Amino acid sequence: MDNYDDENYNDGFDDDALAANLNLDLWKRLFGYAKAYPKDLVWLGIFAFVTALMEVAYPLITKLVVDAVANVEPGSSVNLWPYAGLYLACTVVIAISIGGFIWIGGKIRTHVSHDIRRDGFANLQRLSFAFFDYRPVGWLMARMTSDCERLSNILAWGFLDLVWGTTMMIGIAAAMLVMNPKLALVVLAILPFLGWVSAKFQRRILSSARQVRATNSRITASYNEAIMGVLTSKAFVREQANADQFGGLTETMFEASMRNLTQAAVYVPIVVTLASLATGLALALGGIDLLGGVITAGTLVAFLAYTRHFFEPVEQLGHWFAEMQMAQASAERILSLIAAQPEIQDSASVRAAIAAQLGQDGKLQQQQAADGGTAQIKKIELRNLGFAYSNGQPVLKDVNLTLQRGETLAIVGATGGGKSTLVNLICRFYEPTAGQVLIDGEDYRNRSLHWLQSNMGMVLQNAHVFSGSIAENIRYGRLDATDEEVQEAAKTAGAHDFISQFEDGYQTQAGEGGSRLSAGQKQLVSFARALLSDPQVLIMDEATSSVDTQTEQRIQQGMAAVLAGRVGVVIAHRLSTVRNATSIVVIDAGQIVEQGNHAELMAKQGRYYELYQHQSQSEASAQLASEEEVNTGSNQVGGNELPAAT
Amino acid sequence: MLSTTYDGQSQLSDARATGTSKPTYSLWSITRGQRVTYVLAILAMVATNFFVFGAPLIGKYAIDVAVAGDFEAAAPVLGTWAQELKANASTTDQIVAYLWLSAGFALFITCIGGLFMYWRGRLAAFASEQLVRRLREELYAKLHDLRASFYDGSDTGDLVQRSSSDVETLRVFLASDVIEIGRACLLLICVLPLLFWLDTRLAWLSLVLMPVLIIGAYLFFQRVRQIFQITDEAEGAMTATLQENLTGIRVVRAFARQEFEIEKFSEKNQNFRNLNYRLIRLMALYWSISDLFAMSQIGIVLIAGASFVVDGSLTVGTLFAFLTYESMVIWPVRQLGRVLTDSGKAVVSLGRINEVLSELIEETKTIPPGGRSKGQLSLRGLSFAYDRSAAADQTNVLSDLTVDIASGETVGVVGPPGCGKSSLVRLLLRLYPYHSGSATLDGNEISELDRHWLRQQISVVLQDPFLYSRSIRDNLLVGRANASDKQIEEACEQACILDAIQSFPEGFNAMVGERGVTLSGGQRQRLALARALIKDPSVLILDDALSAVDAKTEASILAALRKRKGRQTTLIIAHRLSSVMHADRILVLAEGAMVQLGPHEQLITQPGPYQQLCELQGIRTKLHKTELEQSGG
Repeated sequence: MDNYDDENYNDGFDDDALAANLNLDLWKRLFGYAKAYPKDLVWLGIFAFVTALMEVAYPLITKLVVDAVANVEPGSSVNLWPYAGLYLACTVVIAISIGGFIWIGGKIRTHVSHDIRRDGFANLQRLSFAFFDYRPVGWLMARMTSDCERLSNILAWGFLDLVWGTTMMIGIAAAMLVMNPKLALVVLAILPFLGWVSAKFQRRILSSARQVRATNSRITASYNEAIMGVLTSKAFVREQANADQFGGLTETMFEASMRNLTQAAVYVPIVVTLASLATGLALALGGIDLLGGVITAGTLVAFLAYTRHFFEPVEQLGHWFAEMQMAQASAERILSLIAAQPEIQDSASVRAAIAAQLGQDGKLQQQQAADGGTAQIKKIELRNLGFAYSNGQPVLKDVNLTLQRGETLAIVGATGGGKSTLVNLICRFYEPTAGQVLIDGEDYRNRSLHWLQSNMGMVLQNAHVFSGSIAENIRYGRLDATDEEVQEAAKTAGAHDFISQFEDGYQTQAGEGGSRLSAGQKQLVSFARALLSDPQVLIMDEATSSVDTQTEQRIQQGMAAVLAGRVGVVIAHRLSTVRNATSIVVIDAGQIVEQGNHAELMAKQGRYYELYQHQSQSEASAQLASEEEVNTGSNQVGGNELPAAT
Repeated sequence: MLSTTYDGQSQLSDARATGTSKPTYSLWSITRGQRVTYVLAILAMVATNFFVFGAPLIGKYAIDVAVAGDFEAAAPVLGTWAQELKANASTTDQIVAYLWLSAGFALFITCIGGLFMYWRGRLAAFASEQLVRRLREELYAKLHDLRASFYDGSDTGDLVQRSSSDVETLRVFLASDVIEIGRACLLLICVLPLLFWLDTRLAWLSLVLMPVLIIGAYLFFQRVRQIFQITDEAEGAMTATLQENLTGIRVVRAFARQEFEIEKFSEKNQNFRNLNYRLIRLMALYWSISDLFAMSQIGIVLIAGASFVVDGSLTVGTLFAFLTYESMVIWPVRQLGRVLTDSGKAVVSLGRINEVLSELIEETKTIPPGGRSKGQLSLRGLSFAYDRSAAADQTNVLSDLTVDIASGETVGVVGPPGCGKSSLVRLLLRLYPYHSGSATLDGNEISELDRHWLRQQISVVLQDPFLYSRSIRDNLLVGRANASDKQIEEACEQACILDAIQSFPEGFNAMVGERGVTLSGGQRQRLALARALIKDPSVLILDDALSAVDAKTEASILAALRKRKGRQTTLIIAHRLSSVMHADRILVLAEGAMVQLGPHEQLITQPGPYQQLCELQGIRTKLHKTELEQSGG
């Protein structure tokens, strides 16, 4: 997560390809989020319209005033108060409508972004693990934060500017056409060209801005690496080499930024010049008409003001047009996240069964689960179980196993052999690609997913601890547990001792990501959490690997009581941990190579025996080795007395 | 014998008071090196304003000429030029020519203005990007040079933020705020005299509401800063909840807590939405009110100007010019409040950057002995505490440690967690200064040796080694850039990582980290060991470095290390007895002090912690043995 950077990560969504054309269909789908606020959209439209109308009206008032005073005889009096009143009224209206559209736009913006995030989060909670396998946390975070903000910005302010810009341009065009069609057409002739230039330039500017962001992400990642790896860099005297590499990055950043800023520096003068071409033409042609008495001085003044305002929206609209194109990749990404269907979910028949149960006033018999099946798990059977990745690479092949209540199955074998995959299949985090998992004789795909998983307790090697107090973390296993029950679970898990030593005891903040707890302490807390949930199936995947030997021994002693009446599954590196299991399977390259209890497997002298031998050898043979290789080392002790430094 | 050795620099407690630190930056001093560019940018802006303001003036003259029908009110040069061009034509034709000339001239000076506008943008960009680049590099180098102890009390996220977001805030200030402030000031400076020259009464009237706008804006943005901060925090809380959920998704699923999580997130999500909405509502009020004032200001000029036109004291053209200038000035002025607030933020950011830049760095003084050391280590009464201000001895991580390690010897170090094993490594690398006693390498006091040279002599492999997100080869070459392929392969072979590397499709070129191969804990440790071996150090320290390696692999690594014996002095710090049993001697530490020292077979016969440790693991060994025998026989 730390080093994730969106701009440099290839997720299969090609920003440039997706920005090639404006995909109206995509925006229609996204606009559905804004449509949830129909009244506000209407008001936003009205405010934008009124604002534009007022902006069109201003030069008209100016024209009225100038006309009223331009040709009066010196000394005569003109009553200007009506104009002042009109002006003030317009000003009040525009102030209200500007406030109004920001207010309403803000509402749509914040609510749409909230709604997209809400839907995304809800879907993330149901998506299968397979989805998370190829989506780093950082990727998901970027979708749910910056993408949401970016799209809701477009949906609120882009929509607003669209209404405002078009109203204003149509309004000004209409006003100009009414006042003097010839002059108006001259000014309007510039428009297509300016629009084209704007769209082109904005696109380029946004594109080079993306380059800047990409480089910036890399710079941030470099800082992160510099800090995380500072001791390594010092130990390997990498200071200069790292600084040189970073210098290359800042060089790239400088160039990318200059490109981006230069484009912006070219764009504005071009727009200003084009607009002044229109103003110049209006001035000359309008001046001639003024001379000929075709138009009044006020009309010309208004015209010149209009030519200035007329081109303002072009810049804005060009910007939004380009931004919509560039943001299409973001839109695709987040919509894909919201629309993704979980690969694993209750089948139609299971949903029907659950609905039928709910129909019976929700009265569940004690022996019944939500889907109407038996609530108890007495036996889990894996039959010809196989699993392969989507690319066809097999992970597990033809696994046959039976797990009984009150018994513990231990799984051993080399890393990457398929141990954790087996556990994931049992928990139905993944579904087998071949064979079946039977719970008391019934394929678990015919049972409720929620029921199954809420009866599983898992303790993982990388124990995850949430922010909040230790008590809250343990209570995550059963939300209505009392303080006593929490403590009881902690005691069984061997966590009570260290928790009591904290100043705040169970109320100690576990810190973000549990950073204040050591790896072993986190494992104990997560063990307590699993115990509190009183699961029918308890799975421990290298659950005590970071716990010190003494504590582990104590836990081992209590294990028999903990596992009584449950289906137990233990994965462990240390073979001493698995010796007491009812049954031990050795998995290698996705297959069960051996099965039996400790004594049986030792007698067999197969793979388990080999593994056991290696582990004891590393201790036993070391003893022998040291006997052979003891050399003259001890003779040298004190042999090199050195003067003490001052 | 016991002597106090200082590390040539001040200690933690008084770290900020003395030592080498750079003078800090102010908003003024940070522009050093680019001031000429800034001046040029500002001059370009003056020119831009001069030319762009010229255009409406031409319009004013043109309208006045057209309305009056004669050249009395014409612009000086253009009027004469038009009359000369059409010398024989009627006045009307001359005026038409004048109008065309005015239009062309207006376009021309706008073009020139545009050119200056471009240069202003480019120069400002160049100046700010150069300054920021310098600052980034300075920060990066600083992060490498800071003392190791600095990192004990600092948070990575915070430091990264100072180096990225705070620098970005400063960049925005340098790139646009400096120019914005300059523009607002210049507009006032350029336009004000012009307005007063055109008409003093109207000039005064066109300024009435300006102070209200500026002061009001400033006060408003000062106040909303707090609300901005609350909103940022709400967003942070929401992001944190999201991240926690995603990283802990397995736990959420394992306990089927989806509903609970959705509710938790929903609360944060709504809170952020509501606060953000409130912020935007405040902005809506602000812009609404400030627009009311700005428009009213223009209205005052319009109506008052019109009444002056009525009594003949003002021409229509001048009124037009007034209106144009007024709207040119009023919008930037309205922005000034925000810009000033942004400048305030830049000052805060610069302060945070300064805090990092003014931290003490490691000194790299003294004479480098040169050449390769023999790796002979000698500790005499060595004591060390992280927090030296605390009561002496009580918190000592190492106390009065005396041991001599011969060149080429292998020494195992065991002891309970927190006994000072890892601190010893840090002292030897001169990452931390020791407080009393002496530690020497080849008879030279470590605290007086050049840090870089010293560290080149020592290779450390840590339990959780840090790997750079670069290719495997680049990671291996970190210690010795010019190592040959043969040396690399040999070291990888010894560290039992060669097969794993060769199994990657890209082999040695595979990237480490998220964008490349994911290495297991054991693979990381072995890669770090290979990296340390390639460096070919005279002292090799394994700090619990094989904890994640399985027993079989560990045995073959230790065997390979034994073959290298004599090439380097080796310290093996470990929890597992199997890792240290090979050693020539074993040092048993407890609470920072030496309890036992000697070869395995000697210590195992002595009653003491080592024997206890052996018993704890030895029982198991015996058990294994009998089982092996039973099943073997």
